[in-house]
Amino acid sequence: MKHATITEATFIGDASLRSTAKPRGRPLHRILVSFSAAYFAGALVTDLVYWQTPDVLWERFSIWLVAAGLIMAGLATIAYVIDLAGGRQIDRPSWPRVVGYAFAVLLSLINAFVHSRDGYTAVVPTGLMLSGLVVVVLLLTAWVGMALANRPRVGG
Amino acid sequence: MIHALKAARSKMLPRLAVLVVAIAGLGLASCDDNGGDPRRQIGANPVLPELQQYLMPPIRIAKVAGWGKDETPTAAQGLQIHALATGFEHPRSVYVLPNGDVLVVESNGPKAPISRPKDIITGWVQQFAGAKAKDANRITLLRDTKGDGVPELRTVFLDHLNSPFGVALVGHDLYVANTDAIVRYPYQDGQTSITAAGTKLTDLPGGPIDHHWTKSLLASPDGSKLYVGVGSNSNIGENGIGAEYERAAIWEVDRASGAHRIFASGIRNPTGLQWEPETGKLWAIANERDEIGPDLVPDYLTSVRDGGFYGWPYSYYGQHLDPRIMPQRPDLVATAIAPDYALSSHVAPLGVAMYTGTDLPANYRGGAFVGEHGSWDRTPLNGYKVVFVPFSGGRPSGPAQDVVTGFLDENNHAHGRPVGLAIDRSGGLLIADDVGNTVWRVSSLKPGSPPKPAS
Repeated sequence: MKHATITEATFIGDASLRSTAKPRGRPLHRILVSFSAAYFAGALVTDLVYWQTPDVLWERFSIWLVAAGLIMAGLATIAYVIDLAGGRQIDRPSWPRVVGYAFAVLLSLINAFVHSRDGYTAVVPTGLMLSGLVVVVLLLTAWVGMALANRPRVGG
Repeated sequence: MIHALKAARSKMLPRLAVLVVAIAGLGLASCDDNGGDPRRQIGANPVLPELQQYLMPPIRIAKVAGWGKDETPTAAQGLQIHALATGFEHPRSVYVLPNGDVLVVESNGPKAPISRPKDIITGWVQQFAGAKAKDANRITLLRDTKGDGVPELRTVFLDHLNSPFGVALVGHDLYVANTDAIVRYPYQDGQTSITAAGTKLTDLPGGPIDHHWTKSLLASPDGSKLYVGVGSNSNIGENGIGAEYERAAIWEVDRASGAHRIFASGIRNPTGLQWEPETGKLWAIANERDEIGPDLVPDYLTSVRDGGFYGWPYSYYGQHLDPRIMPQRPDLVATAIAPDYALSSHVAPLGVAMYTGTDLPANYRGGAFVGEHGSWDRTPLNGYKVVFVPFSGGRPSGPAQDVVTGFLDENNHAHGRPVGLAIDRSGGLLIADDVGNTVWRVSSLKPGSPPKPAS
C-alpha cells in the first residue's frame, strides 16, 4: 500500500494528488477558530495581569481581545456555513467539538458584557473567572476532538 | 480511554451548563427591574438600595421630538412660560450681564476617544439622544430693553470658543470657562460683540479623554476668586486614576495670578455653582455615578465645604463603598461627607439658580431652581424638568417641587431638555434647552398680560 502511494506520487503532480485526496489545505473556518481561541486565551493572560496590577490598560487589552475573538468566531461560523452550502468536502461535523466551541463563544459573549463594565469589577472576579473558564472549555474541546479523531474507526 | 473521556464529559458538561444558565440568569434578572418612586430619594436622607452590577447596562433614552409651533413646556401654577428666543445650536448655559443682556452659550463636548468597544455603542446611543448635535462653540447675546420678554437684538457675542460652559463677569473682565482653560476677555458695558483676543487665566483639565467636559464657573462676591466645577474623566475611574488628576473637584482660582487650589474634591461632576443668598456659602449641584442600578446613585445639591471630600470615586453618600475602584482608599472614605440634599437618581442636574429676584411668587425667594436634563440609563425616565428646592435658614427646607415640566410627552419623546438656568434682570427664570434649541423664560402669571410669542 505504502509502496503504491509512492509510485503514484512519482507520476502525479502534487496539486492533483491533493485535490483527489482531500480539500486543499485546512478549511478556512478551522483557521478562524484557531484565531478566536488564541484571542480568548490572550484575554485570560491580560486579565491575570490586570488582577495583579490593576492598571486599566490591561483591562482594555482584555476587552479588545475578547471582542476580536468574538468577531473571529462570527467569521468562522460564516465560513463554515459557506463551506457546507458550497458542498465543499469538509469533515463531517464532530458534535462534541461544535458544542464545546459554541459554549466557549457563548461564555465569551457574556464575558464581553462583563468586561464592558466600568472599573475593577469588569474583571475581578467575574470577568477573570469567565476568561479562565473559556480557556478550560477550549482545552477540553480540543482534547475531546483529538481523542475522537484518533479513536479506531469501527467498520472503516 | 473513551470511557474516561465520556465520564469526564458527563461530569463536566452539566456543571458548565448550570454555571452558564446561572450567569445568563443573573443578567436577565437585572433587565426588567425598574427604578422606584423618585420621591423616596429626594431630600436629606435618600433611600439607597443595594448596588447591582449588570451584564447589559440599562439604556433608556428619550427619542428626540423637538417643539412644534406654539408648543411650550408647562409652567407650575401662578407662572407662565414662553420662548425668549429659538433657533440656537445646542444651548447649554445662560448668563445675565448687569445691563440685562442675556448670554446664551451654544456648546457641545469634544469628540470622545474610543478606548473600548463599549465607547462605539455609547457614541451611537448619544447620537440617538441628540447629545451629539452640531454645536456652535459660541456665545450669542440677546437684548430685551423693554423687558417684555421679546429681545430686539440678537448678536454673536463671542465666537470660536472651545466647548465653553461657564461664564462670569467681574468688573470689566469677562471670563469664559472653555473645556480646557479659563479665558479672560475685556468687556465694556453695553458691548454686543467681543472681537478682542482672549487672555488665558489658567489651563483646566481637558483632553484627550475629557469625559465630563463642562466647566461651571462662579466668581466670589468680592471678585478675587473664581470657582470652577471640574467633572471627572470617567464614570467610575475606568480610565485610570491618573486621568482624574485635579478632576471631580471644585477649583478655587486666584483671579489675579491664575494660581489654583482644590477647594473641594470627590464631587463626580459639579455642573453648577451658586452662592446661597442667606449664608453666603458655596452650593453645587452634582451628577453621580452610573451603572449600579436605577436608584443609584442619587444626584445631589450640596453645600461645599472648603477642603471637603465628597466620596467619588471610592464611596457615595458618605461611606457607601463602590467596589469598582481599586485600590480602595479607606483613609479618604472615612472623611467622605454625605451631600446635603438628594435630587433622586440619574436626573442629571446641569443648571442651578438661587432665586434672588422678586418677580416670581414669594415662595420661590431664597430657594434653588435646578434644571434636570433627564436620565439615559433608568426606567422609568427621571428628570426632564426644572424643579425648585425651597430653602430656609440657608438649608433646603422641603421636598423639591416641579416648576417646569412637559419636556417629555406622554410617549416619552423629548421635545426639549433643560440645561443651564439663570435669573434675568426683571426676575424671570431663564432655561437653556439644548434639544429644543430654545431659551425659555418663566415669569409670574399676571392677569391681562399674555406674553408675546418669540419672533
